Amino acid sequence: MKTPILKQGPYLIASLQAEQSDTDLLELQEVLVEQVGRFRSRGVILDVTLLDVMDSFATRTLRNMAQAIRLRGAETIIVGIRPEIAFAMVQLGLDVRLSGVQTTLDLEEALAILDRQRQEGMCRD
Amino acid sequence: MTEPTHQDSKKSLMEEIGITEKEIDKRRAFLELGDEDTRELVSIDPIAQAYADPVIEAFYKHLLAFEETRVFFQSPELLDRVKRAQKIYFSRLTQGNYDKAYIEDRLKIGAVHERIGLPVKAYLGMYNFYLRTVADHLFDAYKSEPGKALRTFISLLKVAFLDIGLAIDTYINRREQLIGKQQVAMRELPTPVLQVRERLLILPVVGALESYRAHQLTEQLLESISATRAKIAIVDITGVPLVDSKVANHLLQTVSAARLMGATVILTGLSPQIAQALVAIGVDLGHVRTTVDLQSGLETAERLLGYRLVPVAEKTRSDQTDV
Repeated sequence: MKTPILKQGPYLIASLQAEQSDTDLLELQEVLVEQVGRFRSRGVILDVTLLDVMDSFATRTLRNMAQAIRLRGAETIIVGIRPEIAFAMVQLGLDVRLSGVQTTLDLEEALAILDRQRQEGMCRD
Repeated sequence: MTEPTHQDSKKSLMEEIGITEKEIDKRRAFLELGDEDTRELVSIDPIAQAYADPVIEAFYKHLLAFEETRVFFQSPELLDRVKRAQKIYFSRLTQGNYDKAYIEDRLKIGAVHERIGLPVKAYLGMYNFYLRTVADHLFDAYKSEPGKALRTFISLLKVAFLDIGLAIDTYINRREQLIGKQQVAMRELPTPVLQVRERLLILPVVGALESYRAHQLTEQLLESISATRAKIAIVDITGVPLVDSKVANHLLQTVSAARLMGATVILTGLSPQIAQALVAIGVDLGHVRTTVDLQSGLETAERLLGYRLVPVAEKTRSDQTDV
C-alpha cells in the first residue's frame, strides 16, 4: 500500500499506514528523498501514530531516510510513537538507532519545531 | 479488623496454615507419638482429672506472679473464664484421639494467644511450668511404680510438643499473613503522575522500586505523556532508598522511551550515595538530564519550556516605576 504524502507549505507530511510492508517503506524513502528536492522542502514529518509495530528494519529505514533527507537540505521529525511501542523499542535496543532523529508527540509540536529551526536558519543567513 | 477475622472463621485454621492429615501423621511419626502413648495417657486420665484443679491454681498463681503475664489477666471474670478454658485444654491432653479435630482445636488456642499478644517465651514458659507441676503429681501418684510414671510423662511430653509445634505455627502464620498484607500494600503504593504546568509532569517516586512497581511507573509515565501532551516529565527519586543496576537500567529505558515519544525526562533527587553507587556499578546516565533536587529540576524544566518565574513584589515595583 502506498503511503500518502501531503505537502504543507515548505514541509512534507507522510502518514505511515498500519499495514506497512518493507517494500512500501523503501518506496517511501525513494519518493520522499526525491520530492524534498522537487518541492524544495525544508522539513519532513513522518507520522507513525498508526504503526502497531516498529521492528529493526523499520527503525533502520527511518534513520536512513532521515539522513538522506538531511543531505538534501531538510530536517526530519518522527511523530507519534506510542507509549507501548516506545518502550518495546527501548527494550529491543532500537532506540539507539534513532538517536540522531528528532521525535515529537504530535504534528503540532513537530511543525512548531520546524518553524523555529527555519527562522533560526534564516537569521543566520 | 472485623472483616478478616470473619473470613478466618469460615476457613479452617488447618487449611489456612496448610496442615493436611498427612502432615499430622508425619508430625506424630517424628515425635514417635503412637497408640502406646495414647493408651498410657488415657490410663492416667482419672488422676489428671482429680489433680486438674490444684494444677490450674498453681499454674495461674505462677502466671500472676510475673508482670509480663499478669497484664493478660486483669479482670477476675476474665481470669475465671480462662481458667475454665485452660482446664478443658489440659484435660483434653489425656483423652486420646489426637486427630484432626484435636489439631484444629490446638491451632485455635494458639491463634487466640497470638491475637491477645502473648509472647512466645511466655507461652513456652507456661508449658514448662505445666509439665513440671504435672511431673510432681504424677510421680506422687505412682510412688511405687516410677517406671510407669516416667513412661506416662514421656508420652505426655510428646503430645505437649505436638501442641507447642502447632501453637508456634499459628504465631508464624499470623506474622506471614501480616508480611504478605504489607507487601501487597507496598506494591499498591500509588505513583501518581501530577501535572504542574501546561506540558510539565512530575512523578514523585516513594519507596523501593522493585520490578513490578518500576514497570508500572514506566507505563503510567508514558501513558500520561501521551494523554497530556507533556513535553517534560520530572521523575523525582528522593524517596527511593536504593537504586541498583536493574532499577537504574529501567529508569534509563523509561527516559529513552519518553524521548522517542518526544518528551524530555529530568531525573531529580539523586542522593550522594545513590550518585556514587551508580558510578561505581558503571551505569551511564550521561544522556539523562539529572539535577540534585526537585527545585532545580523544576527550574530546568521551566527554562526548557520558556517560562520565567518573577516574584510578584518585583513585578509590581517595576510596574509602578513604569507609571
